[in-house]
Amino acid sequence: MPKLIKERVPTAERPVEERVKDFKEVNLGYTWELALKEAERCLQCPKDYAPCIKGCPVHIDIPGFIGALRKYRDDPNKAVREALRIIWNDNTLPAITGRVCPQEEQCEGVCVVGKVGDPINIGKLERFVADYAREHGIDEELLCEFAEKCDGTKGKVAVVGAGPAGLTCAGELAKMGYKVTIYEALHKPGGVLVYGIPEFRLPKEILDYELKKLEKLGVEIKTDHLIGKTLTIQELLEEYDAVFIGTGAGTPKLLDIPGILLDRIYSANEFLTRINLMKAYKVPEYDTPIAVGRKVIVIGGGNTAMDAARSALRLGAEVTIAYRRGREDMSARIEEIKHAEEEGVKFMFFVQPVEFLGENGKVKAVKFEKMKPLNEKDSRGKRKIVGTGEYVTVEADTVIIAIGLEPNKIILEESGFEVNPDGTIKVDENLMTSIPGVFAGGDAIRGEATVILAMGDGKKAAKAIDEYIRKKKNN
Amino acid sequence: MGYKITAKRDLSPIDYMIEVEAPHVARAWKPGQFVVFILHEKGERIPMSVFKAENGRVMMFIRKLGKTSLQLYYEFNVGDELYSFLGPLGRPIKIKEYGNVVFASDAVCGHAENYALLKAMKEAGNYTISVQTFEDKNHVYPEEFLAKSVADEHYLTTLDGSAGIKGHYLDVVKELIEKDKVDIIFAGGGLNNLAKLAELTRPYGIPTYATVRQIMVDGTGMCGSCRVLYDGKVKFACRDGPVFDAHKIDWEDAINRNHNRFVEQEKLAKELYLKYLKEKGVI
Repeated sequence: MPKLIKERVPTAERPVEERVKDFKEVNLGYTWELALKEAERCLQCPKDYAPCIKGCPVHIDIPGFIGALRKYRDDPNKAVREALRIIWNDNTLPAITGRVCPQEEQCEGVCVVGKVGDPINIGKLERFVADYAREHGIDEELLCEFAEKCDGTKGKVAVVGAGPAGLTCAGELAKMGYKVTIYEALHKPGGVLVYGIPEFRLPKEILDYELKKLEKLGVEIKTDHLIGKTLTIQELLEEYDAVFIGTGAGTPKLLDIPGILLDRIYSANEFLTRINLMKAYKVPEYDTPIAVGRKVIVIGGGNTAMDAARSALRLGAEVTIAYRRGREDMSARIEEIKHAEEEGVKFMFFVQPVEFLGENGKVKAVKFEKMKPLNEKDSRGKRKIVGTGEYVTVEADTVIIAIGLEPNKIILEESGFEVNPDGTIKVDENLMTSIPGVFAGGDAIRGEATVILAMGDGKKAAKAIDEYIRKKKNN
Repeated sequence: MGYKITAKRDLSPIDYMIEVEAPHVARAWKPGQFVVFILHEKGERIPMSVFKAENGRVMMFIRKLGKTSLQLYYEFNVGDELYSFLGPLGRPIKIKEYGNVVFASDAVCGHAENYALLKAMKEAGNYTISVQTFEDKNHVYPEEFLAKSVADEHYLTTLDGSAGIKGHYLDVVKELIEKDKVDIIFAGGGLNNLAKLAELTRPYGIPTYATVRQIMVDGTGMCGSCRVLYDGKVKFACRDGPVFDAHKIDWEDAINRNHNRFVEQEKLAKELYLKYLKEKGVI
């Protein structure tokens, strides 16, 4: 038996001093040789045991795809084709999930090798398979195998929202033979992948490529349609056999404290949308403005906070992330925290904003209460914190609030869905809402979760929609 | 796929009308709602009021104010296409019988809203009174673009008195209130004067609704750029408005946010664009 290699094969990253000057991708991923070397570390746990498969929200056969890379080591194209075929059984957007999944909490977090050394770098291997396949036209070939079945004759389905849940649901339904139309409110499809996640973490050309593949499967995307306003759910039901709602958690939570209306206080959604979707960092080539001062405070501890902080940094600001709990409580991916630290983002922990102070209508400082942790956890499993009665005021000319999102109410108001107390859409075990024929998934039903869970819902809903339509047509 | 421009016309030296083919928006639009459009792939998202939405086309009034409105005026002609056109957005105004319905406006979007709302209100059996204020006689729109045809009473004012009544809509509204002719008033245009209108009608308890213009990005409740303080609570103009009870809006904050947020960037973009137009010999 070969000796266990405890250390990961590292992936190349662009040097800090170079990458902070632009928005291009930071991590460069594996080459074939390095990917194979990392794949060799995998213990190939049997499928019915492998903790990584159980740890993956969509249960990708991880030992299977890693094994394929090893099995066909003498023919990289074949190795990648087989690996991709295995991944696609459960996840059609590996180039994206390989980049944005919180692997340390999922597959990598439970990897057996991780008990004695570094877990297998599953995320980067997944990304490698997808990137290599794209660069060598392998996924196009595979797609053709599927596309033959995409004749759109089994029925018509409308998908609302072109984010991770909607795109996945549409792709799956198209492969089953449905004619799918996606309705998207913005002028570009992608949802959070296009407006939220920055280029340096997920290059937009990857998303564009995935969208082209959907087009090849016969999926039509209608942008500039806000369902609930442009068309209602009822109108969609008249035209389609079923509807899938993947509208995400689109509304930013703001802080209910004095000064929230001051200028230069952005929600992370506004800040990132201006930068990612509207390309405000390319003014004057692009027209959408952004105003960032020299001292930026980002409030929050999740991926969005890291994305906003690192974007502000790239616009030339000095950036501090202020989080109300401790370092170990932050929900951001470890890689993002590491990148933010490397790039010079500063952190303040156990501080809760209580007031924004302004001058001439613009923010000039944030007043925080210092917090301390308690030895108990809240309902979400996070450490409880209490105020200490001590305050600290920190100067800032720009503030970005990244404390989370809640479902956008527009679609709910017009359609009469039953909703949960937190505003999410109520669904049954098949992801069907209270309106027959209307299904929902992703953050619209979960509040605020991950890209991979949204994709998982999209896939599950596609199966349920297929069953629903077949049953309906047989009656 | 773009959205074809089907008509374009000067309304005054600084305002123009543009009509765009957008059947998906036109069929669903109701007074009080707005649209968001983008000129081209690198353009910004512009929220805009609507004058008319008929036969699959949406007609809007636009002031040559910043880069985008200038570019639309100088580089887009009938037959050209806009890159994106989204709507209708925001909440419609409830159309029912109120009695005497007044609409007062003193700027380009307000004038579009003036016609749009009073037309619907008149059809619903109300007595409609329109008050429209322009800078001077040169800035008054051609009659077909005024709210005259849908108003039982129409008052035109100019600030210098060169056409119609001398003064602002605030003066006319004050008189109408004194004559007890106002059951409900709607208004659109400059925020400073909307704030004054709110103070004018407050002591009389007259229901007063104003279109609260704010800087937006998506226009769908996704970013919070357009947040206003309404009755002490944060509301989004795009999703919860844009028409609000004017007595409950914190006008000082609304005015600050709308006027000052990107003023330097907008000035620079405009200067660069004007320079470009001059170099091309367009102006």
